[in-house]
Amino acid sequence: MSAAAAIHPFTSDLTIDELLLLEDVGFEPLELVLGASYFHIGYQSSAWSQNQELTEMSQMMLLARQTAMADIQRQAYELGADGVLGMRIEIELEGHHAEFSAIGTAVRRRAGDGAKYRDQHGRAFTCDLSGADFWALVRGGFRPVALVHGVCVYHVAHQGLGSWFKTASQNCEMPAFTQALYDARELALSRVQSEAANAGATGGIVGVEVREGHYGWHSHVLEFMAVGTAVSPIVDATHEVHAEARTILSMRDD
Amino acid sequence: MSQPQGTPQRPQTQRQALPQHAVERIQRSRNAQGQRFFTSDLSVKEFLLVRESGFECAGLVMGSSFYHVGYQRSDWSQNQEMTVLTQAMYQARELAMARMEEEAHELGSDGVIGVRLHVNRHSWGEDLIEFVAVGTAIYARDGSPWRAPNGMPFTSDLSGQDFWMLLKSGYRPVSLVMGNCVYHVAHQSLRGWFKSVGVNQEMPNFTQGLYDARELAMERLQYEAQLDGASGVVGTQIHESTHGWDAHVIEFFAVGTSVLPIAMKEAPPAPVLVMTVNE
Repeated sequence: MSAAAAIHPFTSDLTIDELLLLEDVGFEPLELVLGASYFHIGYQSSAWSQNQELTEMSQMMLLARQTAMADIQRQAYELGADGVLGMRIEIELEGHHAEFSAIGTAVRRRAGDGAKYRDQHGRAFTCDLSGADFWALVRGGFRPVALVHGVCVYHVAHQGLGSWFKTASQNCEMPAFTQALYDARELALSRVQSEAANAGATGGIVGVEVREGHYGWHSHVLEFMAVGTAVSPIVDATHEVHAEARTILSMRDD
Repeated sequence: MSQPQGTPQRPQTQRQALPQHAVERIQRSRNAQGQRFFTSDLSVKEFLLVRESGFECAGLVMGSSFYHVGYQRSDWSQNQEMTVLTQAMYQARELAMARMEEEAHELGSDGVIGVRLHVNRHSWGEDLIEFVAVGTAIYARDGSPWRAPNGMPFTSDLSGQDFWMLLKSGYRPVSLVMGNCVYHVAHQSLRGWFKSVGVNQEMPNFTQGLYDARELAMERLQYEAQLDGASGVVGTQIHESTHGWDAHVIEFFAVGTSVLPIAMKEAPPAPVLVMTVNE
């Protein structure tokens, strides 16, 4: 253990195996970092019978998350961290007020060559990976670049009573609804894709999840959020890529 | 090979038109230099294993279908299949799957792994059910053909780990196959209830109903796999849900991945025994 680490004990929410794996790829944990943002969610009117995106709401929900993440970036900068692991963003709503809180563990490269792991602007990387996933990714020849979000708040059209009567007893697809939710998900996905490209990731995005949120809005208004970790290949001839995968039989019961 | 009785029809429209934003997203997954940029819902471990199997991620693909489920009256004291509901639940899933396959086709991929089928309900519309199919499209790095016999990308609900293991053991996925059956289980008569209240005994009525329904779902799954020209099905799971209907109306949904043997270059690897120190 280096002298600096002995003087400033670290805090982290990593488990012991995560800690060991982190050390194995040459990183050390620094501190648990927290970020928060408070937003007032306004109201955007929408046409009753129209499928449409509520663009102001979409932008706000994205901005709120980005603000919480910027808070984390600032702390990571002050700590001299090269990255943040296990980042997650939680939303707590009370009426029109929303609190977005982000939490993660700041890490630093021991060898001092952490700049290779930072993004194009010299900022720390962010990701929602566990220590084990981070280890596997780095050993597999990739590095995380940024936790990226794509947001789409969508108003789904109401259906006229006339068409309701027509379909009451039949099996049939509801093309307007299909279209609305399909579109909204695709928009969220295409935004997460372009945000990753903006962040300078050249590999792709892993672990993408499309989440659906309601947050006590009108029942026809939904938020679709796509989130994932953008990755880039490590361009370094000296980087050690891990050995071939093997079939193992674990002696555990599960 | 004859069609099992009451098998729901596959939707006629095989090729699906994609929504505008899906087409745009797929186009944007290649940059101006034609270089690919993928999105995937694979975990890091799955992503690395897919690469090690000789594949690359092409992108996240999905399909959705919002479906109105018709009404069917059931006889209170009768065990019977609710054919209208069976048909609806099957067709809607097939539609969502077909759209997902179309996205995978547009991406120029060889197949889709990790397919998950979700059933959503929204607070508006009681008889409306949304079906979503999501998976990650992949393609072979060396350009070798992996598509299913019908020329579309293969589909499978296997995880990245399972996919790696399946290839290592000499099989390839062909298609995600499914079979379902919505069944009404008869209510017990009052007299029957009085007779059985104080005794331990099997309820042949209920046994029969649920047994039948599961067998029907399995039989349809098997038939689908045979239609797709597969030699077997792995990872079959049977899900059971009432989807908010009457408690006596249950859907049995069987889903699995059909597989075909491939020519093996080497013997499958022998497993290594390990003891993990994880809890």
